[in-house]
Amino acid sequence: MVSVLLIDDDTELSKLLEEYLQSEQFELDAAHDGPAGLDKALANHYSAIVLDVMLPGMSGLDVLKQLRQKSSVPVLMLTARGSELDRILGLELGADDYLAKPFNPRELVARLRAILRRATGSPTGPSQPVHLADVELHPESRSVTCDSKTVNLTGAEFDLLHTFLRNPGKIISREDLTQAALGRPMSPMDRSIDVHVSNLRRKLGPYEGEQERIKAIRGSGYVYLLPGEQA
Amino acid sequence: MKYRSLFLKIFFYFWLAAAAMIGTLNVMLWFSFAQDPNPERRRGALGEALNLYAESAVQVYDSEGPQAFEQYVNRSLKEAGTEIELFDGEGTPLTPPTPAEATRVAAEIKQAQQHVSSVTALGRLTWGRTVIAPSGRTYIFVTRLRQPYVFRGLPPFGIVLSILAAGVISYLLALYLTSPVKKLKTAVQSFAEGNLDVRVTPQLGGRRDELADLGREFDQMAEQIAALISSQKRLLADISHELRSPLARLTVALELARKNTNGKAEAALDRIELESERVNKLVGQLLALTRLESGAERVPPETVVLEDLVQQVVDDANYEAKPQHKEVKILKLEQCRVRGSSELLRSGVENVVRNAIRYTAEGTSIEVSLIWRLDTAVVTVKDHGPGVPETELKHIFEPFYRVGEARERSSGGVGLGLSIAERTVVLHGGSIRAENTSDGLLITIELPLSSTPSAIHSATEKQPV
Repeated sequence: MVSVLLIDDDTELSKLLEEYLQSEQFELDAAHDGPAGLDKALANHYSAIVLDVMLPGMSGLDVLKQLRQKSSVPVLMLTARGSELDRILGLELGADDYLAKPFNPRELVARLRAILRRATGSPTGPSQPVHLADVELHPESRSVTCDSKTVNLTGAEFDLLHTFLRNPGKIISREDLTQAALGRPMSPMDRSIDVHVSNLRRKLGPYEGEQERIKAIRGSGYVYLLPGEQA
Repeated sequence: MKYRSLFLKIFFYFWLAAAAMIGTLNVMLWFSFAQDPNPERRRGALGEALNLYAESAVQVYDSEGPQAFEQYVNRSLKEAGTEIELFDGEGTPLTPPTPAEATRVAAEIKQAQQHVSSVTALGRLTWGRTVIAPSGRTYIFVTRLRQPYVFRGLPPFGIVLSILAAGVISYLLALYLTSPVKKLKTAVQSFAEGNLDVRVTPQLGGRRDELADLGREFDQMAEQIAALISSQKRLLADISHELRSPLARLTVALELARKNTNGKAEAALDRIELESERVNKLVGQLLALTRLESGAERVPPETVVLEDLVQQVVDDANYEAKPQHKEVKILKLEQCRVRGSSELLRSGVENVVRNAIRYTAEGTSIEVSLIWRLDTAVVTVKDHGPGVPETELKHIFEPFYRVGEARERSSGGVGLGLSIAERTVVLHGGSIRAENTSDGLLITIELPLSSTPSAIHSATEKQPV
């Protein structure tokens, strides 16, 4: 059984989900407000946390912010449909993925599995350190340095960078990037990969001389450029 | 009509009025002194008094000498600013120093053998007469009356100076009158841009007049609108939450039912899932529409790269279109920058494209293009479907408007997509219209460009991919 913490103020929904997830081999623990959820998340070792953004009192985004200061446990956010801002803020604050509420529990299970697969290491990728120009990536310790300075990346950003570094100078489609970084196929109207890319871009910064590092290719995807290379 | 600031108007017209008044007054004064309306009468009345005085003064001089004369004159007249001069019969001054004006009058009397003479210069009367003293000696008595204290207009440099002073005063007045108007204007602008916390009264200080009243009225209005909007927003959030929580539970319960019935009720459960998804979509669209109409949604001053946005919408739409054997194609994509919210604009364009997917015939494609014309970005979306009857074209942007029951039912739409698109476009200062082509519907969205495309083209040289 995999233990998952659900932070959601809807107690009835929590009960239904507990029953559903049980049948999918997940053990669900629930908290119904922000502070209680944060306490539980920090006190126990959960494999993943499902966090509703719309919480009474302390907002889900605040919970996420505080959680990320101490823990890198995978977080799946539940956002209200149509509030892209929450989604972007959540991903920027270090959430691993999101799901718009109301959601199909099958989708929740699929996303959770994708997150967990990634968190336990990507078995497909080579585990050798990658060194490209000023960036060094160590899959073993999941750490990254840029210009000899440590860069703190979330799980999704790390896998995204890993994918880029394995294919420098090649255009990678948004679909492939979503699959690689989020461990799931891209769905229509899904902007999360763009948020992850822009986070990564911001955290790494441009090359020396303001040269772009990751370039968007309209209609195709993204390309990770080498220093001095023009796309 | 060209814009002219209230400040300049007040300043300019007040100054003009003040300058005109100064000018007119001076001209009037100048004229009134240039032409004494009744010099004879004035002189006659004075003459009587002066005759008497001249005789007594001459008598003092003749009998008691110059010193006594001086005392006499000082006592009675010097204080009043009147000058008295005395000449002998030959016109020789007896009380030097003598002003030129007096000497002239004395000489005139002597030469012309006149008894009395007077001259008026610059409003000051110089009057003289011969007096024969009781001793038989002849004197000429001349007096210069004190200059009457009358304002006779300003000298030219004085006029210029006073007009300049009037300018300064007009400037200050205009500033005093218009500075609260300016503050009000800034506040109203900022309010219109969505800053609901802006208030004017604190900025007006201790002012107490109609403008301060206006400021207070504005503040009250702002207060009420802010309260209304925040309650509206709260209501929307509540509705969203209250309607969606049961839906979320329903979806989970549905999946549990699927598991527990082991495929025995799949058809019915599929139907429940489809309908709950429809309710969910409807709630989402209704919320979006209410937000747009209530003014709770406002346009941020962000630059939106429209060609990227259209490309993304088309990419996403193809996900939806491909399984239905339909395709969304881009015919043309020019660089366009507009100001606004990319999130709102995306949903606007998306709704138009989705509507086109819904109606285009199977096996056909939807053609999307983005071009710029002068200062406008033009997005066109053309489908190959049944089109819309001409009489109903103008209604298709109305919420829940249905062109034909049968068509709509099979398409599964709720009739809000185009309304949302229309509200979004209007919110961004643009327009949207629909027209029939030979084999389908063409929807055109126009949005004002934020910068001229030529500037964009020269700034970003296209790089080969």
